[in-house]
Amino acid sequence: MTIKRVLVVDDEIHIVHVVAIKLRNNGYEVLTAENGEQAYEIASTEKPDIIVTDCQMPVMNGLELVEKLRSDEELKNVPVIMLTARSFDIDEDIKQHLNISECLSKPFSPKELLRNIEDVLFSTATNI
Amino acid sequence: MRIQRKIFVVITLLIALMLIIQGLASINAGFGERFAGQMQQLGPVVSACYFVIAAGIIWFAWSWFRTLVGIENLTELVKNGSSPSINYKDNCLADLNFAINNFLQNNRQEINEANELYRDLKLDVQLSERKKLNTEAIIYSIRDAVVVVDSNDRVSMANDAAGKLFSFDCKNIELRPITELIDVNRKEFIDFLVSARKNKAKATKRELDFVGDDAVRTFDCIVSCIHDKKGQVCGAVAVLHDVTREKEVSQMKNDFVSHVSHELKTPLASILAYSEMLNDGEADDEQTKQEFYSVIQTQAKRLNRLIEDILNISRIESGLVKVEKQAVSLTITIQEQLQMIRGYAEEKNIKVVSPEPIVFDQVHVDKDMISQVVVNLLSNAVKYTRSGGKITIATQVNDADQTVRVTITDTGVGIPADEVDHVFDKFYRVGANKKQAKGTGLGLNLVKQIVEKVHGGKVFVQSEKDVGSTFSFELPLATREMVELV
Repeated sequence: MTIKRVLVVDDEIHIVHVVAIKLRNNGYEVLTAENGEQAYEIASTEKPDIIVTDCQMPVMNGLELVEKLRSDEELKNVPVIMLTARSFDIDEDIKQHLNISECLSKPFSPKELLRNIEDVLFSTATNI
Repeated sequence: MRIQRKIFVVITLLIALMLIIQGLASINAGFGERFAGQMQQLGPVVSACYFVIAAGIIWFAWSWFRTLVGIENLTELVKNGSSPSINYKDNCLADLNFAINNFLQNNRQEINEANELYRDLKLDVQLSERKKLNTEAIIYSIRDAVVVVDSNDRVSMANDAAGKLFSFDCKNIELRPITELIDVNRKEFIDFLVSARKNKAKATKRELDFVGDDAVRTFDCIVSCIHDKKGQVCGAVAVLHDVTREKEVSQMKNDFVSHVSHELKTPLASILAYSEMLNDGEADDEQTKQEFYSVIQTQAKRLNRLIEDILNISRIESGLVKVEKQAVSLTITIQEQLQMIRGYAEEKNIKVVSPEPIVFDQVHVDKDMISQVVVNLLSNAVKYTRSGGKITIATQVNDADQTVRVTITDTGVGIPADEVDHVFDKFYRVGANKKQAKGTGLGLNLVKQIVEKVHGGKVFVQSEKDVGSTFSFELPLATREMVELV
């Protein structure tokens, strides 16, 4: 079984750190970025299996990142889980339009995030 | 009437006298001279006839005289409003007296009722006048724009606020059609008012945006129809309340709540995630555990600082903050606060240049609050200055303005030009500098609130990316009297 790559994007270093530890402890390879622009560059070269991103970030926010991913032929199908402290910023229409797999509100449980990542990766694999 | 009566009496008496004289003359001179012979024997008869005619004229005149006096009395009584009750011997006058009495009695009740009705109506008119004046006073004194139209959409009343809003003279309306009085740019309002009147709306409301020369203003417009006693619509009244500021405040509140929740959730998310990891045994070794504990502690402190800052800003904004002003030397206050951050600056190898002492730099301020201003600016300077940099603090008295200015200049990361104007905004953090240091985005806003809102001073910022920033604040100098009072 191949090790899945997860790109974790957040400008809060502590959040990136805790998610990375949780995922690494559960057998994932973790890539990190602190804003959307950096995340897009990493995603373009590293081709992660899934992206976990914060919504409010400097330089390029989470929604702008997803929009850019969806317009990129190579990255348009990468599943995205959004972490946000302002869940009302992302309504169902935006979620469907940008094909966002899940939205988790901050504060979040690392266990719940892991479960969501597993579910999304499983359903992606099944669909293929 | 009395002169005519006297003339009449005199003429009658003269005629009667002439006849009597003629009768006497006939007797003395001999009536028969002219009719000699045949008529001589008729002389006494003719004289008697003269006397009878004279007596008849006197009687006739007396009767008429009495009648005239009776009519005069009746007229006088009727004129004075009393019922004539004279017992006339003259049948004609007695009949007239009776008829008038009957008429007056029959109509007295109606007259009384009419009098009462007249009094009531007069009272109603006075009340209506007073109500009208009250209504006008209310309409003219309220700040909202009020426009009243009749059933033909002619403006019957409008207050000053409406005049200003629609650019017309509210004292010179003269029932002009609303389409003439109000500019065509306000067509949406006219259409709304007219359609509400036609639809007989009781109170219909719509939000209208009026584009002005410099800004768009939003009004809550309520139109109510005016009904007459029969329930027919005889006009409509429109009240326009400016809600521009309310909407801005509401938006600001929403933004504030949104920012606060985001800022509070961020450290809370770290605390909960790390504590869950510890609880689930995800920290393999002691070092990792200590690291997790440290993160939880740091984030808890951040949360506490954030809450304190929010509360302080809220207290200042609402005017509930307790301010204890006293004469304070700014140079001494800066020296005191420098002691607190000197260690942090030395750790980063940053050189700090203290201000030169000034003879008189006393300001009348709340010392704790101004200390908070100084410490916030100094700690920001240290946070955003790279190792080996320099921070210079200076104080300068402006004798002309009677102010003292404190300037803190660093050789730090600087602020991009397009973000400089926002650094004092609540929760604003310079995106590019977030990595440099942690912050709540409230420290500089607190500085601005304390200096400008609490102490009537002014804050300034100048910055160049990768060169450094200069933050300064200016406060009014204390007067000698204020210093002596201490």
